[in-house]
Amino acid sequence: MTSATAQTDTQRPRPLDGLRVLDLTWFGAGPIATRIMANLGADVVRIETEKRPDGLRVVGPKPVGNNSLNVSGYYNNFNSEKRSIAIDLTQPEGHALGLRLVQWADLFMTNMTNRAVRQTGMTWDQVREANPRIIGLYEPMQGLTGPHTEYMGFGAVLSALCGLNYLAGYERNRPIGVGTNYPDYVVNPGHGVIAMMAAIRHQRRTGQGQLIDMSQLESSAAVLSGPVFARDNAGVEYVRQGNRVPYAAPHGAYRTSEEGDRPDRWLAIACLSDAEWRAAAGAMSHPEWADDARFASTAARKANEDALDALIAEWAAGQHGPSALRALQAAGVPSGLVLDATEVLHDPHLEERGYYAYPDHPEAGPRAYDGPGFRLSKSPHEVRGAAPLLGEHTFEVATEVLGLSPDEIGRLIAEDVLR
Amino acid sequence: MPGALDDIRVIDASGPIGHYAGYLLADLGADVVKLEAPEGDPARRWAPLLPDTPEPESGLQFILLNANKRGAVLDLERPEGRDAFLRLLATADVLLESWSPAEAERLSLTPDVIEAANPALIHTSVTGWGLTGPYADWAYADIVACAMSGVMNLAGFPDGPPEQLPDHQGYHCASINAAAGVMAAILHRDASGEGQRVEVSMQESLLTAEETAMQSADILGVNRQRTGGGGATGFKMPGLGVYETADGALYSMCTGNAGSGFQGLVELMREFDGPGEIHQEPLSSFVQERMNTQLLMQAMQDPEGASDILGTLRRVDAIAVDFFKRHPTQRIYQRGQELRVLLGPVNSPQDISESEQLAARGWFRTIEDPGRGRSLRYPGPPWMLEGTPASLRRPAPLLGEHTREVLAEAGIEGGMVDALLEAGVAR
Repeated sequence: MTSATAQTDTQRPRPLDGLRVLDLTWFGAGPIATRIMANLGADVVRIETEKRPDGLRVVGPKPVGNNSLNVSGYYNNFNSEKRSIAIDLTQPEGHALGLRLVQWADLFMTNMTNRAVRQTGMTWDQVREANPRIIGLYEPMQGLTGPHTEYMGFGAVLSALCGLNYLAGYERNRPIGVGTNYPDYVVNPGHGVIAMMAAIRHQRRTGQGQLIDMSQLESSAAVLSGPVFARDNAGVEYVRQGNRVPYAAPHGAYRTSEEGDRPDRWLAIACLSDAEWRAAAGAMSHPEWADDARFASTAARKANEDALDALIAEWAAGQHGPSALRALQAAGVPSGLVLDATEVLHDPHLEERGYYAYPDHPEAGPRAYDGPGFRLSKSPHEVRGAAPLLGEHTFEVATEVLGLSPDEIGRLIAEDVLR
Repeated sequence: MPGALDDIRVIDASGPIGHYAGYLLADLGADVVKLEAPEGDPARRWAPLLPDTPEPESGLQFILLNANKRGAVLDLERPEGRDAFLRLLATADVLLESWSPAEAERLSLTPDVIEAANPALIHTSVTGWGLTGPYADWAYADIVACAMSGVMNLAGFPDGPPEQLPDHQGYHCASINAAAGVMAAILHRDASGEGQRVEVSMQESLLTAEETAMQSADILGVNRQRTGGGGATGFKMPGLGVYETADGALYSMCTGNAGSGFQGLVELMREFDGPGEIHQEPLSSFVQERMNTQLLMQAMQDPEGASDILGTLRRVDAIAVDFFKRHPTQRIYQRGQELRVLLGPVNSPQDISESEQLAARGWFRTIEDPGRGRSLRYPGPPWMLEGTPASLRRPAPLLGEHTREVLAEAGIEGGMVDALLEAGVAR
């Protein structure tokens, strides 16, 4: 195990040091965005309640037999380095405390439905009134305006809405999508982070906050718009083609031998040019394929792709996947094994790069967390701590930020306003 | 109104992996110069193509993701081209490139050379594998990152191949991370005056998209596999998954306490069809008492523990299958959403294109592309920034369209430019 903590240098300033973020997000798309902000140095204070905890605290994966709200790997991975204050915003006193946190913050983010935002009293009008210079990132499923503004969903519903299910997989199969709630994990949080940093720059230069109205549908459709653009401007109707692409061949996953390897091993190969195809044919010990007129150009290979794929599939079936990969990469052919999650966790490349972090957590112990999606050479982006327990920082935030006395805090806890 | 990056100049020398990064920065107001080799970016020739448009101006993927950029051509393989490039960098705030370490070495454009040309530069590298580690010089493509990040292992049917993510998600996720890294580096530079390097690996960019697979492996020692739409549960949960409708398909997430749960779907059935088997005993009580978050949790953690009720679950699901099949998508979607029933249509490109919600929000944008002799309809931005709105200002550049003006801005003018053009170093 490579310990990322060994490489961190807590003395080095990070780009968002001093930034105050109030986080009323849950599930994937919201928390991952504020996690990136936290790993960039922002002080992210997360409002949670035990009454209605983040669904990811509930579902796990958790260690067998442990149903604590604090040990979900799903939740913890998306909430590193944040502070958690448990406030019931639906009570008047809780709501008043929430608005005082709004006054403290530079930026407020939520990915709740409009309905849930109204229930917590944190609409943009309410937030802006409490703090006129704040940035508000609101991320309901379909945006803050329009006839479908109240429509709700999770990543799996969004995958269907944004076109992902229609585009993924093979024509012969049901449009099941890609097996995950894909838009939640990189695309929507990533877009949110970029938009937040753009607004922060504007805020620092002008003193002005602003509303970021981010429709998860638009954010997801933006990265799936190739087929929409082709249809609207060139009349090209999209055909689901699985692992193929319209502009290159061979391009696919080919099953290799189980001998000396695990079952269900697949090798992805993509030849984006004639040169890469020639190199691939050589690495496959079939240089004659490169001279075959059926495969002489991209257009020819696309026209004869079934025959081409049949040849490669037959070749692959007799190959030891990892050895075939080494031969292809030695020849400069884009290729890779379809790794399972355990193989990814222990991938020697990722280990040498120290990608995964293993921050220690009081209940869950040192578990793997995703590392940074981008690395900065001077002002680091890195995971410096674990996710909070639910309400772990209630006393700390209530004291330091809200200026409450221990007696007041005790009373508010007794009245279930704080936990 | 101003864009947040109005004062930022980006030299985008990246290949297809970085197109979307430059596109996002341009949408925020940056002046982005797409810098290409004399033969042009490979995506200029990728099908599908714009009809009646000569090569290399017809590749739709290139046209889509390079809108808002100016275009210049320099041959970095030649010393004069490299020298001109370093002068361009002196006037830039951000460099985006996608060279492997070996390529950077071969071009004599290693990080130290770049830094010497402009110490305040934000030098952003976006490649398949990052700049260190045993795979750093490996070849890559979008599908290769899908494979080596584990996301492909989760997509598809058990009896078919693992499936790539469609429409270049590896490139897009790497680009999103690159743009986010640039933004963080700009904030750091605003505060300190200091430039720095930003490094993005496409493999790493997709890792969070493994969803719970990484944690399942780490905490439980279990590898999630492709299940053909079964998600993380070990058996078919009624109300969860893709269902055929009378005129298409939709995704249903009527389960647990999401929205109005499965009970909401049962109410929707009553409203459309009147009372049926699902509204009578014994199914009525079963739905109310068993089909909750607890069952869903059990399904995810211990599928065998639910084996005693599998037969009833199959009957309930058959009723849902039959219900969806008899009704048109839009009617059940819209009425369902009013009842907080979590449904979403499986939208095609045409559905997206004609969406009333996207139209009401003015998401699509049309601009003139005089170089290609037509107007083009573009998808909108991923965000709406009220104070610093995104804008679509110019079409994708023709190959070398702005070479002269871009070089002039770097102080390379007159005879020097002519010499570069004549020698084929510029175009």
